Amino acid sequence: MERIKVEICCGTACYLLGAAKLMDIELSLPPDLRARVDIEARTCLEMCERENLGGAPYVRFNGTEVMCEASPEKVFARICELAGVEEAL
Amino acid sequence: MADDLFIEMEASQFTKTGQAACGDDVRFETIERENRHLVALSDGLGSGVKAHVLATMTTSMAIRFLASNIPTLEAAEIIMDSLPVCEVRKIGYATFSLFDFRLGGRARITEMGNPGYIHLRGVEEVKPLVDETVVSEHWPDREVRECEADFQCGDRVIMCSDGVTQSGLGVRKDMKFGWRRSGVMKFAQTEIAQNPEVSAHDLAAAIAREALLITPGGCKDDITCCVVYLRHPRIMRILTGPPFYREHDAEYARQALLGPDHVVVCGGTSANILERELGVKVKLNLADMRSSGGLPPVGRMEGIGIATEGILTLGRVLGALEEKRPTEHEPAAVRAIIDRMMRHDRIEFVIGTKVNESHQDPNIPQDLELRRSVIRRMATALERNYRKQVKIDFY
Repeated sequence: MERIKVEICCGTACYLLGAAKLMDIELSLPPDLRARVDIEARTCLEMCERENLGGAPYVRFNGTEVMCEASPEKVFARICELAGVEEAL
Repeated sequence: MADDLFIEMEASQFTKTGQAACGDDVRFETIERENRHLVALSDGLGSGVKAHVLATMTTSMAIRFLASNIPTLEAAEIIMDSLPVCEVRKIGYATFSLFDFRLGGRARITEMGNPGYIHLRGVEEVKPLVDETVVSEHWPDREVRECEADFQCGDRVIMCSDGVTQSGLGVRKDMKFGWRRSGVMKFAQTEIAQNPEVSAHDLAAAIAREALLITPGGCKDDITCCVVYLRHPRIMRILTGPPFYREHDAEYARQALLGPDHVVVCGGTSANILERELGVKVKLNLADMRSSGGLPPVGRMEGIGIATEGILTLGRVLGALEEKRPTEHEPAAVRAIIDRMMRHDRIEFVIGTKVNESHQDPNIPQDLELRRSVIRRMATALERNYRKQVKIDFY
């Protein structure tokens, strides 16, 4: 099964607008899911410079898909979807 | 100051156990236009607040007299005449050691009542070229020693209060007369032999700590050790902010090639530019992130240096430098940057001036200051509080 890559932006704006709360996401995943996900912190994804994109903080999935206004709940839900498991886990 | 030489002047102190203030005082001054560097160290009679006042008065006066080239004996007499007289001992008293150095010239050392200074070139002791003792007519029991010495690149001068040389006195059987000047010199020689480039800061701290440890059960007398070290400056570079013009990115990135112990990159975009231009990745550890004390964590760039977040981290560094706060309780990123600054003599800021528009987002819960003004204030704090040389380049 393919691994899921999650990149969390740690730039100034993202950090202040909630990225700091995303750092514990790895701990909140159930063990079998955690084993399939690679969570990385990134210095800055430079999404804040793009127009027509929602607000910070940003999280990127599998190198392409960007989530705006990310919260632990939203990121958790998206990881479950990508993994094809029920969120109720 | 000549471009290739730097004089590092540092002191380390311990206060006598139970006292609220240290009875020794050290003062440094640099007179840029004369290329002159001055140090005054004084040990006030007794201990505690009273001694502190005597010592501080002495160093303040001595530094002013020294700077205005007033003959030493005259200066010493004025100092002794002005010090308040101790009710118990019926004398007004504070010792002093003065160090006056002109870059490219000789060093002049003047002492009254303090242990003799130690001048080392590598591990070898250097004797003064001139060594005279004069006595004041006014205060016949006070002897003032005036020395002149050739002070070269790589030389160190160690000056201390008697709390250092007399440590162990009467307590340690193996040191009937205390640690003594010879003991201090031997210790310094061993330290230098082990680490020939040991900084003035580290050597002063090591000597003071050793003096404290020699006497068991607390600090029996105020301990002060001051070290002056003349050497080629250790240069550190801090890159922060993306260049205003994208075409300058490559040149900006090249500024980071100074060796990994000497470079800090502050800012996500700046780190990304380096990743792109130099082909290195920033390694961030998620576990560090959870324990980074309210700031984004410190990343590592293999072969380049460390990388931190930008303006929040710099703002916290500025606060600590302006207030001269110790770094132990600061977040990891602040500690990493300040510790690096303290290990270097000249700090070069390479500042990209492009404004990150997302920082102007009204939703951001705190004010983000402009990079330029933060760095300007930081430069002032580094020069005033830590006697560093600072250079700022804009991109």
